[in-house]
Amino acid sequence: MTVVLLLLAFYGGTYLLTLGIRKKNEDADAFMVSNHRVGFGIGAASMTATWIWAASFYAAATSGYTYGVSGPIHYGLWGALMILFIYPFGRRFRKLAPNAHTLGELIHARHGSSSQLILAVSNVMGSVISLMVNFTAAGALVSVLSPLSFQAGVIISGVGVLLYTLWSGFRASVMTDFAQLVALMAIAVVIIPAVFFAMGGPSELVAGLDNLSAEQANFFSMDAILNQGAPFFVAVLAYAIGNQTISQRLFAVNESHIKPTFLTATVGYGAIVIGLGMIGLMALTLGIQPLDGDMNNLIPQMVSGYLPPFFIALFFVLVIGSLSSTADSDLSALSAIMMADVYGKNIAKGKADPRRMLLVGRLTMIIATVVGIVFASFSLDILVMLVFVGALWGAIVFPVIASCFWSRVTNKAFTTSVVIAMIMFCLARFEWLPLAGATGLMFELLASIGGGIIIALMVFGFLGRAAGAISGVLAFIAMLVFATGFLREYTVLLASLTAYGTSTLVCVVMSLMSKEAPFDFNTIRERVGNYDAVADDAPQKGHDSGKPSGAPGDHAAGQPAPQS
Amino acid sequence: MTALMGFYVLIWPALTLGVLILICRAVIRDRREARKENRELV
Repeated sequence: MTVVLLLLAFYGGTYLLTLGIRKKNEDADAFMVSNHRVGFGIGAASMTATWIWAASFYAAATSGYTYGVSGPIHYGLWGALMILFIYPFGRRFRKLAPNAHTLGELIHARHGSSSQLILAVSNVMGSVISLMVNFTAAGALVSVLSPLSFQAGVIISGVGVLLYTLWSGFRASVMTDFAQLVALMAIAVVIIPAVFFAMGGPSELVAGLDNLSAEQANFFSMDAILNQGAPFFVAVLAYAIGNQTISQRLFAVNESHIKPTFLTATVGYGAIVIGLGMIGLMALTLGIQPLDGDMNNLIPQMVSGYLPPFFIALFFVLVIGSLSSTADSDLSALSAIMMADVYGKNIAKGKADPRRMLLVGRLTMIIATVVGIVFASFSLDILVMLVFVGALWGAIVFPVIASCFWSRVTNKAFTTSVVIAMIMFCLARFEWLPLAGATGLMFELLASIGGGIIIALMVFGFLGRAAGAISGVLAFIAMLVFATGFLREYTVLLASLTAYGTSTLVCVVMSLMSKEAPFDFNTIRERVGNYDAVADDAPQKGHDSGKPSGAPGDHAAGQPAPQS
Repeated sequence: MTALMGFYVLIWPALTLGVLILICRAVIRDRREARKENRELV
């Protein structure tokens, strides 16, 4: 009964919150990215809340329990860096297309439909998976803490999120993200020290270190680095580029606030997730066994074992808040992709009707919620989907970033490099070719290029071209020395790095061989514009993009922009 | 060692609290600016 009341209070309260910002006639642009002027506070809160999903806590605690002292760091730090490392590239995206709604629109203006749709498909698959995972987490929690069934929990969370997001879209998402994050952070601030001191505090933790293996007690554990840190490190750029929830916030926040917004979100995410991961470490030092062998039970076990029932209710709100904030962002991301990338750019082709766009967006949210609920209810096996999405995100990292900095990258180079990278990924991941002898060496060479390019892009983002190139070459040489004959034993890592390396190699070679004229980046701003032209809003938009209102960018897509 | 481990665990909720305060203050400022410019917060 308490759980049902908490769910009603949570979703009811969130819904009421959105009534305060609701407009009878929402406009399509605001539905996707608000007014491009979201402030630092709301932007940072929304970015943090979106990036923290239900799995963050469970996985961080599992990492702490499995890998010991360094475990929570190897989960939370790399997740936080995904936010940090996208920001220098994000500033470039925003400069090229200040009025964009999706990264796909920018790629469409740069290359055309095929490249844009590759990006859009990867975004859609990622968001559907995320929705399913979050609804599953809600179902599991509700079924454990109440007499309600797993399916009931899935349906309540799905319908609850849809109800408050459906009308105002992204505006509702960012507004509720703030409230959800405040609750989430406040609860984390209380729960972590409460469990820590209830279990006996620092002295008990130190005494319990004797229960740990040598690897678990070592802060620089190679086991933790290779099995937890390295795969996450490889995914840092891929997750950031492949996730429309991040791009959407990038295009929504005030341009001058991008840096503080992303820096704050990085620290906020890292602090909450690593902090809750410490509960897994506490459980390990106490020698606690997870109930039914399920690591997801670690935090609930610790909270219920050491704290009064009131804290269980707080934990429940913590998980429901985190999964709802991510799910509403996924719904907003999916609707923006269908509105702008599919309808706006490929169906309406420059004659998009904002009212029809809104209909497309809302229908997308309804369909996505149903799909998420069905996938979660039937506990469908999404492992293959997950593997392909990860590979696709890895394969598009270099082509997307290079397309925004290097004028010679062509559409053909973009699409071909992604397709070939996916084929090479499958050959390695599913071992369709024997990973031995010359073949194994070839894959390790490609993976080394992949490792080099990851480091190069990360350094390039912050320190520029020369530092990026030097770091990349050094990383490539180090990989050649240390990974040759060794990496083939770790097929998941090998395949992921192969996807990066292959797409980079093919994209660079094809671009260099192309005889097409270099691309003029100024045309992107002209091709990516707003869909609505609301008279009293025009001066703000002009101010945002650094151009006078009514300039080509506002209507560049050729939309008639009727009043909504 | 005891103090170090205590710090290692408690620094994260402390950081969380710091970020929470920073975000709340920023949102109050955002709201004030939005009102002054006669526009909506989001």
